[in-house]
Amino acid sequence: MYDFLTGPMFWLSLGICLIGMLVRFVLYFRGLNWQMDRVAYKAYPAQGLKGALKSIIQWLIPFGTHSWRKQPFMTVIFFGFHIGAVLVPLFLLAHNLFLEEKIGFSLVTLNPLVADILTWAVIVSAFFLVLRRIALPEVRILTTSYDYFIILISVAPFITGLLARYEVGNYSFWLTLHILCGEALLIAIPFTKLSHIVLFFASRAQLGMDYAIKRGGMQGKGMAW
Amino acid sequence: MFKKILFATSATEASDHAARVAFNMAQAYDAQLYLFHVLGVPTRGFSQVVLDVKTKEEVVLDDEYIAWVEEEIKVHYTKQLETASKTEIKVAIGFPHREILRAARELKPDLIVMGGSTGENDDSVYKKSLVGTTLQRVAKAAPCPVLVVNRPAASFWGGMSNIVFGTDFSKASDAAFKFAIRVAKTLACELHIFHALDIGSVHTGRILTQDEIETKIRESIRRIRGRYLPGMSGIEDYSFEVWEGIPYIEVVKYARENHADLIVMAHHTHKTSGEDTRLGSNIEQVIVRAGCPVISINR
Amino acid sequence: MPEGKFCNKKPVETEEELKALLGDTGGKQYYEEMKSLEIDSDLLWKTIQNTLKSRLKTWLEICAHCGMCADSCFLYLINNRDPKQVPAYKIQSTLGEIVKRQGKVDNDFMHMVMEMAWSKCTCCNRCGMYCPHGIDMGIMFGYLRGLCYQQGFVPWELKIGAGMHRVYRAQMDVTDEDFVETFEWMVEEYEEDYPGLEVPVDKEDADIMYTVNAREVKHYPEDLAEAAILFHLAGENWTVPSKGWEQTSLAMFAGDWAACKMQVESVYAAMERLRPKRMVGTECGHAHRATVVEGPYWAGLESGQAPVPSIHYVEWLAEALREGKLKIDPAKRLKRPVTLQDSCNYVRNHGLKAITREIMSYIVEPGYFIEMAPNKEHNYCCGGGGGFNGIGLFRPQRNQALITKRDQILNAGANLVIAPCHNCWDAIRDLEEEYKIGIEWSFLKPVVISMVEIPEHLKLQE
Repeated sequence: MYDFLTGPMFWLSLGICLIGMLVRFVLYFRGLNWQMDRVAYKAYPAQGLKGALKSIIQWLIPFGTHSWRKQPFMTVIFFGFHIGAVLVPLFLLAHNLFLEEKIGFSLVTLNPLVADILTWAVIVSAFFLVLRRIALPEVRILTTSYDYFIILISVAPFITGLLARYEVGNYSFWLTLHILCGEALLIAIPFTKLSHIVLFFASRAQLGMDYAIKRGGMQGKGMAW
Repeated sequence: MFKKILFATSATEASDHAARVAFNMAQAYDAQLYLFHVLGVPTRGFSQVVLDVKTKEEVVLDDEYIAWVEEEIKVHYTKQLETASKTEIKVAIGFPHREILRAARELKPDLIVMGGSTGENDDSVYKKSLVGTTLQRVAKAAPCPVLVVNRPAASFWGGMSNIVFGTDFSKASDAAFKFAIRVAKTLACELHIFHALDIGSVHTGRILTQDEIETKIRESIRRIRGRYLPGMSGIEDYSFEVWEGIPYIEVVKYARENHADLIVMAHHTHKTSGEDTRLGSNIEQVIVRAGCPVISINR
Repeated sequence: MPEGKFCNKKPVETEEELKALLGDTGGKQYYEEMKSLEIDSDLLWKTIQNTLKSRLKTWLEICAHCGMCADSCFLYLINNRDPKQVPAYKIQSTLGEIVKRQGKVDNDFMHMVMEMAWSKCTCCNRCGMYCPHGIDMGIMFGYLRGLCYQQGFVPWELKIGAGMHRVYRAQMDVTDEDFVETFEWMVEEYEEDYPGLEVPVDKEDADIMYTVNAREVKHYPEDLAEAAILFHLAGENWTVPSKGWEQTSLAMFAGDWAACKMQVESVYAAMERLRPKRMVGTECGHAHRATVVEGPYWAGLESGQAPVPSIHYVEWLAEALREGKLKIDPAKRLKRPVTLQDSCNYVRNHGLKAITREIMSYIVEPGYFIEMAPNKEHNYCCGGGGGFNGIGLFRPQRNQALITKRDQILNAGANLVIAPCHNCWDAIRDLEEEYKIGIEWSFLKPVVISMVEIPEHLKLQE
């Protein structure tokens, strides 16, 4: 089982994830239509790029936009979740040892304490995200079982990962489960809302271009997100 | 000389004095009389909802409603309409001063007849952002003379024998003078030319001495002679006076003294906003206080 | 089932049809007929397949259901934070549902959609600024209105409005002759006070071509005079077109894209005929949005720009004040607590926040200008945008919406609101009428005229 999961299944799930994300990203931009969207994308590429970058970068900064500042609690748990959710899978020592084995090189790695903290942050934030979905009426009305499923499938690798890391119970079991959850997550990414991993950037870029080219970016300092 | 008369009415008691004069004149001169009424003020952006001026209610405008309002007007003036021959009722929607002016532009009347101000009621449908009363704005821009009847005492147009022409020696007053001459000749009346010397310290910044006042009076009389007498051929009975005081008070007093049946004055304030609105120009005060009809000319 | 006499999928295209529909007081028969209007699901789905591209599709799918848009929407806030007013919920339960069901929806559903699209969203685009994914629900509601209009589920006043544009190329029944006549009349009325005042009609190669809102012609012609006076005092070489003079677009509020195209094309044709250096519009927000911002796309112009550089009135006014073409007498500046309404259509959606403030710096005595909170591109809708002001059926909801602006003005402590936009101006007038908070409101033109210095050579010679 372990061999299967770390062998063909690894390549398959990673392949599906990367190719899937690429496909979605490319399809998104190919599907943009200047007339239907009413944005002259091609007419002002430099302007568009500037707007796209501003739109993305400002939102990647905690409390970097009016919206983040208006919802401080959400901002904290959002970034608490996402920072760890991005950094840990990519830069965890254990993952990179595995990667080195598989493809010959590894990425930069996180200090183990930092990795622990980030992982706990992911789990605790996920807990509060779920609580938020239940407690706030404006979120509750939108929430479906699919949303819980997504949170579950996203946080499962972190929970199982921690259980393995702290060697709780049967290490082998949790490790295998962790890999399974991780690969399930990878496969799910292009086909579910998890595609927001790339589509966040795409969508934000689009709106950034819209505001930069059409809705005022050329009349002044641009949108103050 | 009045072949077409546009009578702008609110079709309520407030316009009754003016109505009396309008119908009187129409009969006297066998004139075409238009009863013009603005029934509502547009509201709600681009929608068809209108705020009815009388009921203050929101109304959706359609042909039925217009017909009903026209009927109401007919009923209000039943008595007068019995004897009047050439009358036509026209209703419009919009801001009264604008619609009156629009109708005047279209119908080209020789005279517009109006009642005095309907006042500044809090529940008036005319919103605060419009500055200046209907009267001010019509008198300022009308293409023809505007006759205003504000008080019951002023609501008579019958045998005319005395016309008072009030002047401030402006260009507009010249136009008013020409009109006064025409009326005086047509109706074979006496014409009394009057100038009020404004001695309010508010205006001069200090109180004038008696000598100064009397010097100014003499000057003004010379001016009247120079400016107006040459145009007076054909008028048999006339007189002219200059009194010192607050202009509108003096005009009203002079008119009373001379048993004036009509006052003719120029309307030429350039502003209809801010301070001037509250103080009112002289002619507006005269209109409010006169015991006879007042005709305002602006060109 | 045969379609109704008034309520059907056919746009109003002739004067007779327009008059007939107007005659149906309050849309009584129209709304009655709407109860039995059938949905053409095939057409609906086909249209969606043709027009719902990557951007909208992704927006609908990628929504994380996070609810951060809730606080951004003034309708959500003012309606006691009703969860059903959360923007994401509003769009998912309407457009999202239609897409999920592939257009197979029924009459009741479409009634709900119509109410949502025209009384629970003014397309102010504020939610798009607060969504982490940048999902602009205002744009989606605009798109949805298009689908509704196509199916005949549009509020009565807007069906009429779109019809007005189709018949008169103006938002009201004002003909080209009416326009020129009224403008000339206004100039005549004021030329005594401003010798030399004129309105050049159809002058070619002028610096400025001025376009207006038909309301001004019909009910507020003083605005035309004021525009002429300010151009005159600034010494501008300007003109108005006798055709293509109207800038607004009720068709845009109605979702009648074909009529939107016709309307802006009439203005662009005027630009091409008269070749002005620039077009300057009147003080109207959605007119600017329709003609300058969105219009080029309806007309198929790939540059996204109108044939001639086009600016909002505030841009011209700021420039005139900045360059000294118009000089303000400092003694006559506003010395009362005054605030500024940032209209969604040219501030949030066309970046003119600094321009309007520049104007305020010239016309308000320092220390008297108070900002609303929030402001600039984060300002709330006036309460009457997107056609809300004019729809009788949704009057109560609109009046509720006005409370947001009312409170903003009260909190600013201002007794005068400068509102360089017809819709905002109306909304503020209505909020004063409804809630009587004792404020005044004004466009910029009359305020500037009250304090502008008349150049020597243009002064009245007594």
